[in-house]
Amino acid sequence: MIHEDSKALLEIRGLRATVNGIEILKGIDLTVRSGEVHAIMGTNGSGKSTLAKVLAGHNAYQVTGGSITFEGNNLFDLEPEERARAGLFLAFQYPIEIPGVSNSHFLRLAYNTVQAQHGKDELDPLEFEDFVREKMKLLDMNPDFLDRGVNEGFSGGEKKRNEILQMALLEPRLAILDETDSGLDIDALRIVTNGVNKLATKDNAIILVTHYQRMLNYIVPDFVHVMQAGRIIKTGGKELALDLETRGYDWVGAEYHAAAEA
Amino acid sequence: MSAVLQNLVNQPYKHGFVTEIESDIAPKGLNEDIIRLISTKKNEPAWLLDFRLKAYEQWLKMEEPKWPNVKYPKIDFQAISYYSAPKPKKKLNSMDEVDPELLRTFEKLGVPMHERAALAGVAVDVIFDSVSVATTYKQKLAEVGIIFCSISEAVQMHPQLVKQYLGTVVPVGDNYYAALNSAVFTDGTFCFIPKGVKCPMDLSTYFRINTEESGQFERTLIIGEEGSSVSYLEGCTAPKFDTNQLHAAVVELVALDNADIKYSTVQNWYAGDENGLGGIYNFVTKRGLAKGVNSRISWTQVETGSAITWKYPSCILQGENSVGEFYSVAVTNHYQQADTGTKMIHIGKNTRSTIVSKGISAGHSNNSYRGLVRIAPTAAGARNYSQCDSMLIGDKCGAHTFPYIQVRNQQAKVEHEASTSKIGEDQLFYFAQRGIGSEEAVSMIINGFCKDVFQQLPMEFAVEATKLLEFKLEGSVG
Amino acid sequence: MSMVTSNSYLESLLQGQPQLPPSPLAWFNQLRASAVDRAGMLKLPTTRDEDWRFTDISPLAKLSFQPARAVSTLQAPDVERFYLDEAAIRLVFVDGAYMPQFSTQPNKARDLGLTVTDLSSTAVSSHGAVIEPHLGRHAGFQDNLFAALNTAFLHDGALVIVPRNAVVDAPVHVLFIATQPEVASHPRCLLIAESGSAVTIVEDYVTLQEGAYVTNAVTEFVLEGNAQVNHVRIQRDSTQAFHIGHCAVSLAHASRYRSVSVALGARISRYDLNARLAAEGAECAIDGLALISGRQLADTHTCIDHAQPDGISRQLHKCIVDGAAHAVFNGKIMVRPGAQRTDSTQSSRNLLLNAKARVDTKPQLEIFADDVKCAHGATVGQLDIEELFYLKSRGLSELAARNLLTYAFGAEIIDRIPVASLKQRLEQTVFEQTKRS
Repeated sequence: MIHEDSKALLEIRGLRATVNGIEILKGIDLTVRSGEVHAIMGTNGSGKSTLAKVLAGHNAYQVTGGSITFEGNNLFDLEPEERARAGLFLAFQYPIEIPGVSNSHFLRLAYNTVQAQHGKDELDPLEFEDFVREKMKLLDMNPDFLDRGVNEGFSGGEKKRNEILQMALLEPRLAILDETDSGLDIDALRIVTNGVNKLATKDNAIILVTHYQRMLNYIVPDFVHVMQAGRIIKTGGKELALDLETRGYDWVGAEYHAAAEA
Repeated sequence: MSAVLQNLVNQPYKHGFVTEIESDIAPKGLNEDIIRLISTKKNEPAWLLDFRLKAYEQWLKMEEPKWPNVKYPKIDFQAISYYSAPKPKKKLNSMDEVDPELLRTFEKLGVPMHERAALAGVAVDVIFDSVSVATTYKQKLAEVGIIFCSISEAVQMHPQLVKQYLGTVVPVGDNYYAALNSAVFTDGTFCFIPKGVKCPMDLSTYFRINTEESGQFERTLIIGEEGSSVSYLEGCTAPKFDTNQLHAAVVELVALDNADIKYSTVQNWYAGDENGLGGIYNFVTKRGLAKGVNSRISWTQVETGSAITWKYPSCILQGENSVGEFYSVAVTNHYQQADTGTKMIHIGKNTRSTIVSKGISAGHSNNSYRGLVRIAPTAAGARNYSQCDSMLIGDKCGAHTFPYIQVRNQQAKVEHEASTSKIGEDQLFYFAQRGIGSEEAVSMIINGFCKDVFQQLPMEFAVEATKLLEFKLEGSVG
Repeated sequence: MSMVTSNSYLESLLQGQPQLPPSPLAWFNQLRASAVDRAGMLKLPTTRDEDWRFTDISPLAKLSFQPARAVSTLQAPDVERFYLDEAAIRLVFVDGAYMPQFSTQPNKARDLGLTVTDLSSTAVSSHGAVIEPHLGRHAGFQDNLFAALNTAFLHDGALVIVPRNAVVDAPVHVLFIATQPEVASHPRCLLIAESGSAVTIVEDYVTLQEGAYVTNAVTEFVLEGNAQVNHVRIQRDSTQAFHIGHCAVSLAHASRYRSVSVALGARISRYDLNARLAAEGAECAIDGLALISGRQLADTHTCIDHAQPDGISRQLHKCIVDGAAHAVFNGKIMVRPGAQRTDSTQSSRNLLLNAKARVDTKPQLEIFADDVKCAHGATVGQLDIEELFYLKSRGLSELAARNLLTYAFGAEIIDRIPVASLKQRLEQTVFEQTKRS
């Protein structure tokens, strides 16, 4: 929801980034205010997942230009875990499996780390168990998940639910959902998006990175940005996503280049 | 490999100091005269000298095993001193008479030699180079009929028991290093748990190699009579030398009907430096004979040290319904090489065995699991379950799995599983994105990986093992 | 295999080699000559060699085998029963010698640009440049006596070259028929699947007599980029025979190799399959079944060598062992330095049906890269008691339930054969062999 006087959570200016010496992001500008939902769309290789990783601070990506301010602070000064503790959350496209580390142990450690950051009380294992079970209902998850290794042997849908469960626990200011819809069947998509909608408030913001318009039927964006070759080449409202669904991406690129030449 | 991972694996070895103590060292080299000298110094009966000479005769005809997945220059067995003992070697009446320099050494290593300062409920036998220097709680144990002393003392005080069991589980000619040990072993621990006695405390031996040119060849013999039980712990360290020291021990366990022997090791011999210079060659034969019905032998090992580890704690499951267990964590870093695993030989009916092996490789090291599960035609109803997991940290190391499964009985069931996992950038980034720092992440992942083994260790050892692993791997991840 | 100076037994095995007609191709003659030299230096492996630890081939050395003499009496009806309905292209070899009269290939195959021919034919000269980099280069004979012997006798053999982007719908049937006792034959296959091509090849060993003989086969498969090859290998030799088979597969970028090998015959059989994933993104699925009884021994050694990143391998090997038979499996998965993101699974499943039956299995992992997913497993046991109980509770007799489960155990592999008539035939064989009174 767009609120006229809400403050900017995230400000990206002229962001450039490379991986293995190849420039992927070629000057990104984006402002996200609290309460807003932004969708970043684009074909494979357009740089949208790279943007998500750069925001979270993955060290495979080198920032070569521009700035990112998160709640007024320079994001580049923060290590990945400090960004997480400051309220920046990334739901991974491919959540990694970590055998042997129980999901409940992992979730509690993550939760308590963030709680400690905010000077709030940490939960002991029993208290946490009650708390997390409540949150799991939101995502229609089987309590067995808690006893299994982190993402170990989870189906694609289960992994994505586990990501949103973590979002529910950590209550981030800014959540970046990287292709959270891919690999989900329609029922799972409904559950996951429903969960996300319940977590959206006027004080936080969400960036949806997606290939398809499908998810936007469930989480309605305030802004839709189209990425191509490392740039945002068009920004519009939710109707832009529907346009893309029917007309594909090519016309946006053509329009952009025509404008650039003119 | 990122800096955090690097730092995590590359902590210095903290037990690498040398104790300045005058030692009685035999001239280098191995021949019949040296063997006679050792036997004379230890005032041994004739049968034991015969045992040694027979072993030596066999050793001369044997060749070093070539099949392990390890590489090292040829060992010059004539350049090793086969006997080294701190002077003066006189009969000690109490701990207070132990050389204060030795006491300080073991205090520094955290080994409790004073009974009053001891860890509650652990009796300790301390072996320094070739000889046992102290045994605690002997009297208290004797009250329930348990014999816990150095093997040299047992030879003098309980010759009939030693003669009855020595070499029955690991025959003198069993393998190259066992033959060598049988010829030249200098000391070790002897435990005898009589019928029906549950040992009231954990028994423990602490091994320390101190002299640069000496090898350590200790011999351990543990006998659990009918219905007895014991938990035995073994710890080892050595100073840092640029040369390699040879450690060739033999451990024999015998469990009679319904007896239960649990043997735990935390091996932290000096592993050599980050370039692979120095370190202990650890060529050890450990074997338990589950002789009686319903007997149980359980090996738990945490192997973090040694330049080369060649070690297969094994169980011969002879008694009906006997049980063998092997739980192992082996960590290698830098240029360490480990070829370790177990043998489960099922002979009796309805015998069961469990193998859980976790190998962690970092740096340029190579870590191999080698295991044998053999089901003899007589072992109807035998069961084995094996799980061998490997974790790799960095892309310069190797992890290898060589499970041999030999089944000669159709009414047996053998299952083997193996998998690999890793700690790398992506794993650490995932944790970081949830606010968890890399050190905590690594510790969680490693503990998660080793959980099934650490659970088997006695409490104090489990804590020590966890710390040791974190210490050992500090700097290797990230 | 350790080296010693040549022994008289090997000399006898090499008998007849000098009579082979020389090829017009110098490199071909050179290859044979160096194989003769090498064979002379190697000795027969014994159980002291790790690779032959469980397979004692000393019985082989107790018999003398002659090189096969040409047979002329064989008529089409004698061999027709081995033909496959689907296979329009067929190469037939009798005791190692090529039989053009039984072989066939339709014009359609030629239209595709497909080369299917005998290695000794003139066609080889015209394809010399294509063959030279591959023949004898994948199935190395430096340390392998049997490969050296086979290469020393290199003469007749199957040559299949599938041109770029050609998709061959019908399977190519390469049929090796043994008709004479006390002879040694050295079947040879070379398949070159050029980039983007697809083919199914059935390598089939059958017999018309029940005596003792030696089949010593070598097969080389070369998969160029994106090629897809299905390989079915059926060994139905006489239960007195010795069968030594060696197959080397080289996989280029994004190529896919799927193989199903079935060992039913031979007194002692040994099959070595080495697949080298030599470029990124290659994929292989290697499945096997040994169904043996009496005093048979079936030994399968496989090595899946992940030499480059992003390779995928899948392996399921099953043994059903009855009587006093002995099954051996040694499956090595190698992940070489830099072969990141390798994804490999391997499973060895063994069923013992008799108190005297035995199995030795060793699934083996050697990993030198850290970002890999490798899992292997092995089981040895009897039929599952719960499954038996379930079937009996539905009214099946103990025997019927056992037969059904044993059959199902083997059928899982047979089902993966992509040639319907062969699958059906083998299912029938498995059904009969596992049906016990």
